Amino acid sequence: MSDSAGEVPSTSETDAIVEGDALVREYSRGGSGGVFGSTDAPTVRAIDDVSVAIERNEVVGIAGPSGSGKSTLLHLLAGLDIPTDGHLTIDGTDIATLSTRQRGALRLETVGIVFQRFHLLDSLSARANVALPLLEAGHAKGPRRERAEELLSAVGLPDRVGHKPGQLSGGEQQRVAIARALATDPALVVADEPTGELDSESGDRVLDLLVNAADDRAVILASHDQQALDVCDRVIQLRDGQVVGGQ
Amino acid sequence: MLGRLRALVGLAVARVIGRVRIAPQRVLLSLLGVALAIGLMVAVSGVSLGLASESVIESEGVDYWVVPEQSNVESIAVSAGGLQLGDVHATSVELQQDSRVDYATPVLLELVPVQDRVTGERTYVLTAGVVPAEGTTVLGLPASELEPGDPYYGNGSYNGTWTGEVILNDAAASVTNVSAGESLSLVDETNRTLNVMNVSTGGSGTAGGTVPVMVMHLAELQSLTGATNGDTADQLLVSTNDRSVRSSLEGRYAGTTVVTRSGISAQQVSSSNLPLAVAVAAFVSAVVVGVLFVTTLMGLEVSADRQQLGALAAIGYSSRSLSTVVAAETVVISVLGGVCGIGVGILGIFGANTLAGRLFGLDSIAIFQPVLAGYAVVVAFVIGLLGAIYPVWVSRRSDVVEVLS
Repeated sequence: MSDSAGEVPSTSETDAIVEGDALVREYSRGGSGGVFGSTDAPTVRAIDDVSVAIERNEVVGIAGPSGSGKSTLLHLLAGLDIPTDGHLTIDGTDIATLSTRQRGALRLETVGIVFQRFHLLDSLSARANVALPLLEAGHAKGPRRERAEELLSAVGLPDRVGHKPGQLSGGEQQRVAIARALATDPALVVADEPTGELDSESGDRVLDLLVNAADDRAVILASHDQQALDVCDRVIQLRDGQVVGGQ
Repeated sequence: MLGRLRALVGLAVARVIGRVRIAPQRVLLSLLGVALAIGLMVAVSGVSLGLASESVIESEGVDYWVVPEQSNVESIAVSAGGLQLGDVHATSVELQQDSRVDYATPVLLELVPVQDRVTGERTYVLTAGVVPAEGTTVLGLPASELEPGDPYYGNGSYNGTWTGEVILNDAAASVTNVSAGESLSLVDETNRTLNVMNVSTGGSGTAGGTVPVMVMHLAELQSLTGATNGDTADQLLVSTNDRSVRSSLEGRYAGTTVVTRSGISAQQVSSSNLPLAVAVAAFVSAVVVGVLFVTTLMGLEVSADRQQLGALAAIGYSSRSLSTVVAAETVVISVLGGVCGIGVGILGIFGANTLAGRLFGLDSIAIFQPVLAGYAVVVAFVIGLLGAIYPVWVSRRSDVVEVLS
């Protein structure tokens, strides 16, 4: 970490990369009070008393119908959101103790995120997109380029380093996104519907890469796609915010 | 730290370039807004710079007027009883010896009473006494039609040949009912007559179409008005095509100042701080207009771009880094607009000068100096910084989870 203000305090040592205990995430319906909102607005419990522990080398799927809380749980486990109640650690760090900035620094260092819609920057080359986390982490230009090219080779795109996202197929863009997620060598990769916008052949290739990524880290994969869930070591089934099966 | 800042600015530049390629409308509108604001500022600043430096005198065929330092500029046109210069015949001879000078003549302005040729009534005519030479034009009247030199002066004895030659403008001929070749009687104890050599319609520099004006030899006017003692006149007119003459004239005669006919308004403006006021108004207008354009359009741009910014935040980009990227994008667009604005400003200056030339006969009312280009870029940078406040605020209030859901 180049930015000392954003350094993440490590609070415990554990075998699990992610450990959540009795996690609850509530949202208030109708705003959070203030001038126009009601202070006693009803709340929705998107995640209700969920406990998970995900270890290194594991590929864990999160499944469930729409509205079951898959994305909410994924956001919590990725450190994008904080639970309303319960206890969550990522790579040994208690999320509740971190400021927004520190959570950002934790994600940069520890969590790689793969989005359903890739979210690559259209104006940048594949190499520059992969190097984005390294830029924020303060790496110099030379090492950034070197690492990005190495990762693009690893995902099978050595000849696409200079291509813009618009010049790549959907599958290729998702592979670039996976390379970006691995750029800082995180302990955890979370993927939200990574095959949702891909054909089956491209989807297979993306899933292979995610499974391979679990060699030295944990991978969490939220998906409707049974093909994606089939590659997981285990699947957490959610319904109405609660775990109803799997684990 | 500096390397990271450079990398973030590089990222901002890449995003701007990408946006210009993919969806250029808002970026180009922002750029156009700043370009127009900066262009207007450059053009107006060019005018105020022109006024402040009296660029209007920088034209060929200019007349310089050496006047007493404490007299005001209006005395060039009409002077009656104000401060005067002395020993003017000798001075004008000295000036004539400069090869850059076409002609130099003292000018004495007096109101002379004459008699209406028909009614015999007394009337007053504004009279300029000069030492005519080839090409001499005073108050728009062709003094060169008078006998060259000043025969009556007689090396200061004022007993040379009295010519009585005068040239009238239309108004003077009208109020005195005389024509060319006729005589005009003075109303004084001498009862001398003047010979009307010509009646001229006058030029652009005439004292006014309705003001009766005539031109005659200086020594004769001096003798009529009692100005022979000390050989006085109101000012010296120096005609030249060489602008360097001005610096030669300045400080050459103690207690005098040098102005130009076309520079009269400029001198008045300069002394009133108007150029500075105009420049400040142009600056404020450019900043306000530019900031409004940039703020509005970049605010919309950032709103439309929340998903990409949200993705960067999800990756781990801090709010400060994202703010830096957004601010750098805004500044880059603004500075690019500023650079375009320099071109717009130069066109504006060209247009203003063309218009001034056609409407007022002035060669140059505005000037472009390289410092204006630097000024434009600095102001565009300021516009970018001020205009970035709102887009940065929009980017910071985005919720990552909400944006990515």
